Amino acid sequence: MEAKFIGQSLPRYDIASKVQGQRKYPQDFNMEGQLHAQVVWSAYPHARVLKIDARQAEALPGVVKVITWRDVPVNEYGINIMDQPVLVGEGAKVRWVGDRIAIIVAESEKIARQARDLVRVEYEPLSVVMDPRQAMKPGAPLVHEERDSNILKHIPIRRGDIEEGFAQADVIVEGYYVTDAVEHAYMQPEAALGYIDEQGRVTVIAAAQWPHDDLHQIAHMLSLPEDQVREIVPAIGGAFGGREDMYIQHLAALAAFCTRRPVKMVWSRTESVQRSGKRHPFYMRHKTGATREGKLTAVEIEIISDAGAYASTSIPILSNAASFSAGPYVVPNARVDAYTVYTNNAVTMAMRGFGATQPPIAYELQMDKLAGKLGMDPVEIRMKNLFEEGSIAITGNRMSHGVGIKETLRQAALAAEWREENGHWRKPALPPAEAPHLRRGIGVACAYKNVCYSMGFDDTSTAEVTLNLDRSGEIVRALVKIGASEVGQGVWTALAQIAAEALRVDIRKVNLALVDTAQVPSAGSSSASRHVYMSGNAVLRACQRALAKRERVLHEETGESKVTVTYTYHGREARATTPLDPETGQCEPHISYSYGTQIALVEVDTETGEVQVLKLWAANDMGRAINPQMIYGQVAGGVHMGVGYALTEHFIQKEGRALTKSFSEYYIPTVRDMPREFVNILVEVPDPSGPFGAKGLGETPTLSTAPAILNAIHDATGVWLDGVPATPERVFMACRKSL
Amino acid sequence: MPELRMRVNGKEVTVEVEPDDLLAYVLRDKLELIGTKIGCGEGECGACTVLVDGQSVTSCIYPALKAQGRDVTTIEGLRRNEELHVIQQAFIDCAASQCGYCTPGMIMSAKALLDANPNPSREEIEAGISGNLCRCTGYYQIVEAIHLAAQRLAERGEEGSHGS
Repeated sequence: MEAKFIGQSLPRYDIASKVQGQRKYPQDFNMEGQLHAQVVWSAYPHARVLKIDARQAEALPGVVKVITWRDVPVNEYGINIMDQPVLVGEGAKVRWVGDRIAIIVAESEKIARQARDLVRVEYEPLSVVMDPRQAMKPGAPLVHEERDSNILKHIPIRRGDIEEGFAQADVIVEGYYVTDAVEHAYMQPEAALGYIDEQGRVTVIAAAQWPHDDLHQIAHMLSLPEDQVREIVPAIGGAFGGREDMYIQHLAALAAFCTRRPVKMVWSRTESVQRSGKRHPFYMRHKTGATREGKLTAVEIEIISDAGAYASTSIPILSNAASFSAGPYVVPNARVDAYTVYTNNAVTMAMRGFGATQPPIAYELQMDKLAGKLGMDPVEIRMKNLFEEGSIAITGNRMSHGVGIKETLRQAALAAEWREENGHWRKPALPPAEAPHLRRGIGVACAYKNVCYSMGFDDTSTAEVTLNLDRSGEIVRALVKIGASEVGQGVWTALAQIAAEALRVDIRKVNLALVDTAQVPSAGSSSASRHVYMSGNAVLRACQRALAKRERVLHEETGESKVTVTYTYHGREARATTPLDPETGQCEPHISYSYGTQIALVEVDTETGEVQVLKLWAANDMGRAINPQMIYGQVAGGVHMGVGYALTEHFIQKEGRALTKSFSEYYIPTVRDMPREFVNILVEVPDPSGPFGAKGLGETPTLSTAPAILNAIHDATGVWLDGVPATPERVFMACRKSL
Repeated sequence: MPELRMRVNGKEVTVEVEPDDLLAYVLRDKLELIGTKIGCGEGECGACTVLVDGQSVTSCIYPALKAQGRDVTTIEGLRRNEELHVIQQAFIDCAASQCGYCTPGMIMSAKALLDANPNPSREEIEAGISGNLCRCTGYYQIVEAIHLAAQRLAERGEEGSHGS
């Protein structure tokens, strides 16, 4: 049967309310009699708290309560390891400037702000652990004293024999690449409303990527059974990984729990920039060998990632980074040592790519450096090494189920006017720049990323589908209940399209229930590009079973006017993943993959160091395009983040303190900073286990932008920028040194 | 408390404000017009853009009392009865909104632009929204939507009706 809703550019279900300003985000909720809360932040990146004196703050008229560590039933939380104190107590340590000393609850926001300046805290400052490379060394001051080292995790991967691999190589390239921390910079700052609901449940309205995990953590913190806690997720103003961990949910819940009144908390943009988690800075050392024919023989890679003060998801991010560290290429011999290390810098966490975003900066520049040494075209050297169906990755697993990476490169290269003759590829001649100080260049980068949770984590999503039937058994309305957070990516529209397709009903008859943990089952997080695959499979199967149940109802004439099916899809139904072997890293790492290639044409102003992307081609393999118009937006948005990552976004930390405060210092690209021309190419190589062949898309479009731009800068100027961001200062200095 | 009288979306309103109150907060907290968003509180991101006497302003840094006696238009004031404004419809048709938090401000900037310049070039559209940050869309579909709205307004103009 021909698809009716899959592949259609239907308008997203929430867009009419969004263009009218009617959609409510957490800051748009207010309740009768609500109080306002503000956080007293740590004044030091590393210090022991000696004394907290809140008497003056408490005495201020309008202050209802100053909540400190003594008020927290179980003073710990964390998405992966519960290593974070909710509020830091006397005698304990603050480990970064995002640690919290107290929460002021007052009758107005103004009073709460005044009162927070009246809380007197005595600290004993400790030496600040700033650089993970120093922090790894024995004898470095410890961020967590109960551990014997700041190294949170070391992940080795061993495949083949690198000595033999390098011996076979005709050329060897070595490089060292550094990436800075990145701020998510979602447009909607942190806000939440906590209250006690009519059934006595501690309830919080917040923008959350993983509501059911928050529920678990809040219940733990308050020492309550999970059915006494509730999280409601309204519209979310962007997330990008930054709302996967709890950031404000627990604080609003705690304030409501302590005061038994509604409490609203809203952060300023400066709080958002300085006190929220970031993408990990990486330090990557690569040695890559290839034969004269351009075949890769060996890689030796060291990755050091800055975990910041607390674990968050640093370990799975590191696992991902290690598994992707050699790129989407066949490399028979590999030795990878990846470390993530505690410091007193900003906590680092999930951000679009989850460990797959930094490695391409290294492996894609290595590919171009090899191509340069071999006198080979950059497309050609990639074509010789890219994964195909059945290729073996450095983790020993066989790549399969729709390996579209070569096709993305082929289509992007042809679109950018590369020419292929007898297996040889030739770069296009570029139109000349208009002045001698302007240099043009073109660069290519390929990348890939897992879809769904990885490495033995049992990924599941549960959908509940109810069909309301008329007397003849026709579906009047279908209601889908699923705890999938709509962060702006369009998951609800994609799931509605999948449901309508499966049920063969008009999509206007399909409704999705609001995400409220008291009402909808867990779908896991809006991350890992996973909802179309995981939740799509859950919805698809629940719909199919609901149709079968309806047949029985009609056949047996039971008179029922409603059928409901709840179905939990397990990722292992299609493919079971396994953890990395602790010594060799060999495993079946991921369920499915999405692949992408980007090509950037840039113009470098060698007098100012400014780089303008003139044109960008993005080819992505997402298996099956559920909604092409929404995919266009996802890809363009991914490129936006990639351009910022490459050129402008610089989060500066000095001695554990964030110097970057706001959008006037943290430059996310404006409309004028985007590539002047943008070409979006959809490549559909289906994964048969995905719903209608779909894999996922959310993250891959961000991965190859920055390395494509860096390779283009080199093509234009002959200068390598071995890291990001390539700010005008850095580009100018690099050009001045070598031009 | 000083009294602020202004016209908001065509309606006369009178509110008591503090001398240091900013327009965005008055609109949101006192008039319950939550469509105006606050993204930075520093006039950097444009999410709070509204029109004052037809000019776009970042209302998060605009002193509320400066609006005394003036005409304020917010996103809630664009729709005419059952019909969406042409720009709103164009944003839907071009999928120009994802998370949607920047959308009201973006649409108000587009309105100010098209009111002043009904037939803008791509460069002029970009200049018109260069003070509005978006983290989701990459802007292309937004530029396309504003272009489409301009086209539709021109078509309507030829038919002799008013789009705004």
